[in-house]
Amino acid sequence: MIRLRLVCIVLFGCLFLGEASSQGVTLPGAHHIELENGAVFILHEKRDVPLIGIHATIRGGAVSDPEGKSGLSGLLAGLLEKGAGGRDAAAFAEAIDSVGGSLAASAGLEAITISGEFLARDSDLMVELLVDMLQGPALDPEEMRKLRDRRINLIRAAKDGDLRRLTATYGNAFLFGEHPYGTPVYGSEASLARITHRDLLGYYRDFVGADRLVVAVAGDFDALAMIESLSAAFGDWRRAAAALPVIEASERQRGRRVLLVDKPGATQSYFWVGNVGVAVDYPRRAELDVANTLFGGRFTSLLVDEMRTKAGLTYGARSVLLRPSTPGSVAITSYTKTATTIAAIDLALSLLARIHEEGFSDNMILSGKNYILGQFPPTLETASQLVAQFAELKTLGLDESFINDYGNSIASADGEAVREVIAEAYPAVDDLVFVILGDAALIRDEIAKYGPITEIAITDPRFRP
Amino acid sequence: MALFAELRRRNVFKVALLYGISSWLIVWFVRAIEPEVALPAWTNTFVLFVLAVGFPVALQFAWTYEITPAGLRKAIDVDQTQSIVYKTGQKLNAAVAVLLVLGVLAVFGQRLLPKFEFLVPGVPEGDAPTSASAPMEIRSLTLNNGLKIIVWPDHDIPTVVMYDFVRAGGRNEYPGITGLSHFFEHMMFLGTSSREPGEFDRTMEAAGGANNAYTTADVTVYMDWFPRSALETIFDLEADRLQNLTTVADVVESERKVVYSERRTSIDNDNFGKLAEQVQATAFVAHPYQFTVLGWPSDIKSWTQNDLISYYRTYYAPNNRTVVITGDVTPGEVFELAEEYFGPTPAQEAPPAVRTVEPEQQGVRRIAVDAAAQTPLLHLAFHAGAAADPESLPMALLLSILTGGESSRLHRALVEDAGVAISVGGRLDEGFDPGLAYFYLTLPPGGNPAAVERRVLDELWRVADHGVTEAELTKARNIMLADHWRELATIAGKAEMLGQYEVFHGDYEKLFELPEALDAVTADDLRAVAATVFRTHNMTVGVLRAPEAEMAE
Repeated sequence: MIRLRLVCIVLFGCLFLGEASSQGVTLPGAHHIELENGAVFILHEKRDVPLIGIHATIRGGAVSDPEGKSGLSGLLAGLLEKGAGGRDAAAFAEAIDSVGGSLAASAGLEAITISGEFLARDSDLMVELLVDMLQGPALDPEEMRKLRDRRINLIRAAKDGDLRRLTATYGNAFLFGEHPYGTPVYGSEASLARITHRDLLGYYRDFVGADRLVVAVAGDFDALAMIESLSAAFGDWRRAAAALPVIEASERQRGRRVLLVDKPGATQSYFWVGNVGVAVDYPRRAELDVANTLFGGRFTSLLVDEMRTKAGLTYGARSVLLRPSTPGSVAITSYTKTATTIAAIDLALSLLARIHEEGFSDNMILSGKNYILGQFPPTLETASQLVAQFAELKTLGLDESFINDYGNSIASADGEAVREVIAEAYPAVDDLVFVILGDAALIRDEIAKYGPITEIAITDPRFRP
Repeated sequence: MALFAELRRRNVFKVALLYGISSWLIVWFVRAIEPEVALPAWTNTFVLFVLAVGFPVALQFAWTYEITPAGLRKAIDVDQTQSIVYKTGQKLNAAVAVLLVLGVLAVFGQRLLPKFEFLVPGVPEGDAPTSASAPMEIRSLTLNNGLKIIVWPDHDIPTVVMYDFVRAGGRNEYPGITGLSHFFEHMMFLGTSSREPGEFDRTMEAAGGANNAYTTADVTVYMDWFPRSALETIFDLEADRLQNLTTVADVVESERKVVYSERRTSIDNDNFGKLAEQVQATAFVAHPYQFTVLGWPSDIKSWTQNDLISYYRTYYAPNNRTVVITGDVTPGEVFELAEEYFGPTPAQEAPPAVRTVEPEQQGVRRIAVDAAAQTPLLHLAFHAGAAADPESLPMALLLSILTGGESSRLHRALVEDAGVAISVGGRLDEGFDPGLAYFYLTLPPGGNPAAVERRVLDELWRVADHGVTEAELTKARNIMLADHWRELATIAGKAEMLGQYEVFHGDYEKLFELPEALDAVTADDLRAVAATVFRTHNMTVGVLRAPEAEMAE
């Protein structure tokens, strides 16, 4: 009798937990396989639509670009699409497009990523193309010259366009300087022009290999067959020849300095104000996410509320955290018409000072937590999102608890801890690096109050002097 | 205490427990099957009602009767020494345990087991689906005031999406109020008779929801993404702003500056936006598609509160909207909430129709924009059809063959082979009225727009003369089909697509006819539409470059 009652209590508990935890979202179970040469595969079957998502990463990325040659890893990533296996560049693009697939490579700060999506029926072709890209890229000198020159011109085109896209590139370049995190991932006009075909071959040999590879596949396919075909394809692949660079942790910078990027005729000023922040393994990530959501990570955040909704100074304002393997940057970024440049920057600085002094009320913290929890499930909805998460966790050396415990750690973040991370993660208003893009003739004198100014023209082929 | 002991002896508590668990399982089961079988909207309420009525009856029965070896007897007639209530109690305990096991299996099983294939839009094994019928779990309801609600339940994540399509956009404007549709979209977040400016967003975000909105030349769409738990809050917020919006003078003034900042960002300080606005204004001489959706600067500065009020009255009526809800809901609960919150708003007279039809173009039109630029821009626009026209699908396929991806004709010819452009793209307007087939190219510094225009036209005329290959058509079909499935992989994509098809094609079910419609398009259809559309008489050319580049030529 007692035993039956115990069983009932346990079953009740299960039911309760089952219903309760259905509000949270976790990574689904997946097959993890690591080959002897270090290649890792993560596979998850998901059959709601007839698609397969794939996400492969090669640890390394822009931080392994040689000095003065920013953009080399990005250029190599681009070249992986320009012919591989038996296919030249045109045939390779045709093979992907003809089945309605996608397979694109790009470099990030600490990894090269190949990401794609195919209809389920084309899974063999997808694997074949991925294997060819990684193990047999043509790396043709003429294709390299074309792509390099085109990228230089695309940077010029970006400078003619919406400068919101370039603000953080200037910002991180000026903040980190010679440190690897200052490298423009895509390269600059100047650094791309210095890259030779020899550099490209060297980078492929040194920084691309099985020991750096993680491949995640999710979607409508048979996991066991996929394991077999990936293992056969990558089992004999070589390792990368050179060690990955060790990234020194940056210290937060003291005092203030300003980079002014002159775009004559601009009717709007764009600004990025930041300093060194925290790394991906920052222990109080949940509390920091709550703080950043409330400061500048959602529509009712302090920055948007004060700068847009109340003052009408701008269409948008954000606080942005870059969290790589060692401390990255934390910055406020916004834009305003030229005449209100100072008003907008001063307001942003006063809000930074305000969160240091006052933090956020318990009500706001509860609202921020609800918001993060409510918006979290759609980030793990599709096969493509899942593969990106699987691959990135593995690449960063994190385990699944990074995702699976996230909901609980958000839910248990308390106000005191949020106030503490503000002091830890956000710079004081006296220690800031400013980047301001706009019509220098109209703002140069006024912005001098923020600190010593370094000035370059928007047409300068570099992102920092 | 004696009563408590007697209740316990007669197993009344155990029966209550058993009844409770059984009821929970029944309700759970009804909810689980509701999306897959066409149960009426009141099923949930009815089941709950029956179960509630049955509860006191069951307790009374347990109190009054007792099971004996000789069958059912009134408890007071049973000799206590012969009573087997203890054994009956054990049986009840076992039944409770069994039902609990079933409950646990149901709750966890639903989450852990793969979804049953038949519950998912028909996917033939190993091949792209070609089914033409809409998944049967999608349901729709039109309220008495004319508001149509479409619901697609999807329980993958505990999240819900609500998209509200209002049939009002730039085409409903005239000189003096250009950009008002978009400005109005901003005002919809800024206060009602009972909510302060900003309270809408604060309430939604505190409940875990997020929102945004967009305005086009044809429609204004309001989008909410939120956890299931916030469902009723969202209905409350949406109904409030659709019935009780207020426009306060100083809020209007402040928001005017925000909209001007948006214009400064995406048009005045972005060469692409700057040129596109001019090309649009040049391609149309009569139809309101000529107006920039963000509005001309003088109009942004001078809209009045009266303009806003009159716009709200004219266009924000329930009969001028369609609401799509996807995600972790059942049609029954959504329809009940819709009746409660959206039902009371009265229907209105339909807004005035847009009467102006763009007259046929008489010859090529050219527009030059001088701006600081390292890289010149070249845009080519041709008058094409409306979304619902039969030519719109062949045209979309044709644009894909010409500009979709690195293997497309224009990318290969101009970017890879000749190197005369650094990027090329295309878009097709698919609105209520005939819009544009649009090509946009970025040239390298020093590029010659006239020479590149000639090359683009050569490629377009080649299609008009010789058509496309079967392989190209198959490729374009595959790209569109894959995009179709990509959209349907998220609840947000589902809401967007259902709404687009309902609003622009008159019926959301047509979304599911796309695979068959794609198969029916022939290479000859593409050649024919190319020959009709890609004529210089039908073309507007825009060039943006630095004045000094023009001088040098």
